[in-house]
Amino acid sequence: MVSDVVAPPELRVAVVGAGIVGVSTAWFLRRAGADVRLVEARAPASAATGSADGAVSVASKRPGAMMNAALAGLRLYRELAEAGILDGLFTTRSTFLVAVGEAEAAVLDAQAERLASVGVEIERLSAARLRTIAPALSGDTAGAVEVRGEGHAIGYDITRRLIRTGGLKVDRDLVVRSLRRGSDGRVVGLDTDRGPIAADVVVVAAGGGSSALLGLDGVLRARRGQLLVTERGPGLSAGLPGAIMSARYLLAKANANGAEPVSSRGYGLVIDPLRTGQFLVGGTRENDADRAVADLEAIAHVLADAVALVPGLAGLRLLRTFAGLRTAVRDGLPLVGRIPGAGDLWVATGFEGDGICLGPLMGRAVADAILGRHGDLDLAPFDPARFVSGRIAA
Amino acid sequence: MTVASVLVVGGGPAGLAAAARLAESGVAVDLVELRPALGGAFHRRPIDGVAPWPVGREGAKRWARLTDDLRRPRIRIRLRTAFLGLDGSGAALLDDLAAGRVEALRPDAIVVATGAVERVRPRPGWELPGVSTAGGLQMAMKETGRIPEGRILLAGNGPLLVALAGQMIAADRPPVALVEAGDPIRHPIAGLGLLAHPRPLLEASGHVLRIFAGRLPWRRATTVERIEAVGTALAVTLRDRAGRAETIEVDRVALHDGLLSNDHGLPEVDDGAPGRPIVARAGDCREVLGVAAAEIDGHRAAEEVVARLAGAPGADAAAARRLAHERHAQQVLARVFAPARLPVPVERLPRETVLCRCEGRTVGDLVDLVDGADAPGGREIKLSGRFAMGLCQGRFCAHWVAEAAAGLRPDAPAPLSGDLTGRRWPARPVSVAAVVASALPPER
Ligand SMILES: Cc1cc2nc3c(=O)[nH]c(=O)nc-3n(C[C@H](O)[C@H](O)[C@H](O)COP(=O)(O)OP(=O)(O)OC[C@H]3O[C@@H](n4cnc5c(N)ncnc54)[C@H](O)[C@@H]3O)c2cc1C
Repeated sequence: MVSDVVAPPELRVAVVGAGIVGVSTAWFLRRAGADVRLVEARAPASAATGSADGAVSVASKRPGAMMNAALAGLRLYRELAEAGILDGLFTTRSTFLVAVGEAEAAVLDAQAERLASVGVEIERLSAARLRTIAPALSGDTAGAVEVRGEGHAIGYDITRRLIRTGGLKVDRDLVVRSLRRGSDGRVVGLDTDRGPIAADVVVVAAGGGSSALLGLDGVLRARRGQLLVTERGPGLSAGLPGAIMSARYLLAKANANGAEPVSSRGYGLVIDPLRTGQFLVGGTRENDADRAVADLEAIAHVLADAVALVPGLAGLRLLRTFAGLRTAVRDGLPLVGRIPGAGDLWVATGFEGDGICLGPLMGRAVADAILGRHGDLDLAPFDPARFVSGRIAA
Repeated sequence: MTVASVLVVGGGPAGLAAAARLAESGVAVDLVELRPALGGAFHRRPIDGVAPWPVGREGAKRWARLTDDLRRPRIRIRLRTAFLGLDGSGAALLDDLAAGRVEALRPDAIVVATGAVERVRPRPGWELPGVSTAGGLQMAMKETGRIPEGRILLAGNGPLLVALAGQMIAADRPPVALVEAGDPIRHPIAGLGLLAHPRPLLEASGHVLRIFAGRLPWRRATTVERIEAVGTALAVTLRDRAGRAETIEVDRVALHDGLLSNDHGLPEVDDGAPGRPIVARAGDCREVLGVAAAEIDGHRAAEEVVARLAGAPGADAAAARRLAHERHAQQVLARVFAPARLPVPVERLPRETVLCRCEGRTVGDLVDLVDGADAPGGREIKLSGRFAMGLCQGRFCAHWVAEAAAGLRPDAPAPLSGDLTGRRWPARPVSVAAVVASALPPER
């Protein structure tokens, strides 16, 4: 789990961004003995990481690089939990992909095939069987697929725990204005609001702030998500043995055939019973929204869908709403790896709606790559070189 | 020409005064109040069939004036309606509790006049059943006309306790004792300042006379150290100025340590951003200065809003002077009631002392959370520590948690109470069904 590679003595690494990805990267580097500076514009988990749902899930994925990464991400969470590092913060439970109507049932069936083909443990549940397992669901469901061994982790809790167990200290409220470069264009540190920071290696894990630092115009875009949390509903929790994910989202994805969604505000539905007994319900997928704020229209829409699937939710109170900006890459795959022609400059961002699942995994992969160790995750599909040729503009 | 619309939140003196003055200026007003009746804290109305609690001649006149002024066209009063805050689109969200429906309004301005919340210092046992706030007890008395059964102890700090004790004696149900951290009658010189404020002086002396005439045990310079449940009763341990402990057994304890502006989760005074309403504050929710000041401040806020709607800056020198006078009265009272000994800092209370009652989070939980190389900020303390995360959304604990965290980590920037409460809607819990109903056309 924790690589046994040792960093060269006094290797100074500056990590920009204390979201789950930056913190994970810093944690693994620090474990290897590197001298890590973790620089954060606001506070740890103050951006996407603190506003995420937290599904550590492969249920809606198609076979390919992202599915492989998600499976590896899930395995790493399990290992970190067993090792005591994420003890109590990683909950395993099934995801129930639930279909309403013929069309959804058909895409659900196809998804079950795909998941089974890569060895994910699933079970097809008839409507009748589903009612016994999850009595809180509405009677309208046409059936479900139970995806076993999935998990849930709350971004801000994971981040806090890693900061704690890694003995990391975050430089808060410190904005990185630009990267410092030597005369040959190689990165030599950071320019911050409080002066320069020298470093041998720089890792940019700044989410939506990464494009400005790396000059990657037009590669990244923000996709807003709005979520909500209810009060505790102990009776209801007993009738929901895992996360409920509506198959409608799969249907929308299948119909879109890989193309970008036409409408700027898309709705998916996940109802997650939390450890606390509360319910986390999400959410939207919105292009062209640059402020992380929630509005009544979206929250009412999400709740109406949720109540249609789990009628008992109508009897609870809404406690919190929130919104976050997912950082998405133009071609749908994250950006992880070394920036060509800039010395020891690395990037890890663009995880869109999967960064909680992939954060620790990618942190380890980047740390391994920096230290010259060949990890087991193939980073080739995520290579930033696909957007950056040669030396980037400073 | 379209008439400007203003939402006034809160039906206490500040909100009523603001609504009346706004309507007088030709603005259309929606006045929302959470409770089934207007009145706020001081003028809390009784439930049907109960005689109103006496508020004194001054108070009766004020109430008559406020309600008379309210009989204007263009004021729409909506009772049992809660303001939930501004959403991401800039809409003001109202929770219509009677209709079970959330509604979005787009007023040109909002006057937030949500009064004060009581400050109650955490101490071991303050979360036990039977322990309430003194203000809560007073509200229940005003609404039901009754004082709850059993032996009642009033304890904490500040003039509200004296007033409550006086009211209970007048109603022939004196408390068992009044425990006060300050020593008000030891400050005759500071008290002289009150001569400039005959009205509160008169009122206060009335209560004090009643306390002495009724031979009420008034333990001054004394604090409640802890409360323990003994069967159905409560054993309250007091500590006096000389360090002597005393335990008394009672059925109820009403605690009070002052008042704080009730602005939890509510939108901040606006930054003038286009597309968002003007946001002004009035009364105790802006600055805790009491009932007389609230009326003045309601008028002031209304004039500020009217001026700003017309594009003028909107400062009112006369109102500022009158408010300064009320502020002076509060400052004198604060000096008179200054605690005789510094209270134990919250972070040094026993580890098992509950800080957040909703989620049962303790001093020990906070100590463990903020320990380590990296000191977490306010939002992280909230999220990872689950402080200020419960149903009250930090109304009662956020400032103590912030204060304790600052005390524990003097090396880090002090977290603010607002970092813990945040300013996102809903400012209070709202029924899921009511949110879902917001998407449907209203039933007429
Ligand atoms: C609504 C929503 C739901 C989601 N649900 C899930 C889910 O169920 N499962 C899942 O796996 N993922 C989910 N995600 C995705 C996940 O939250 C993100 O992919 C992940 O948090 C990204 O982490 P990060 O560290 O890359 O970025 P961030 O968390 O955005 O962190 C980047 C940090 O960099 C800092 N920064 C930026 N610029 C600078 C600068 N110039 N100087 C210094 N610091 C800077 C920022 O302040 C920020 O703290 C969801 C996201 C959202 C918004």
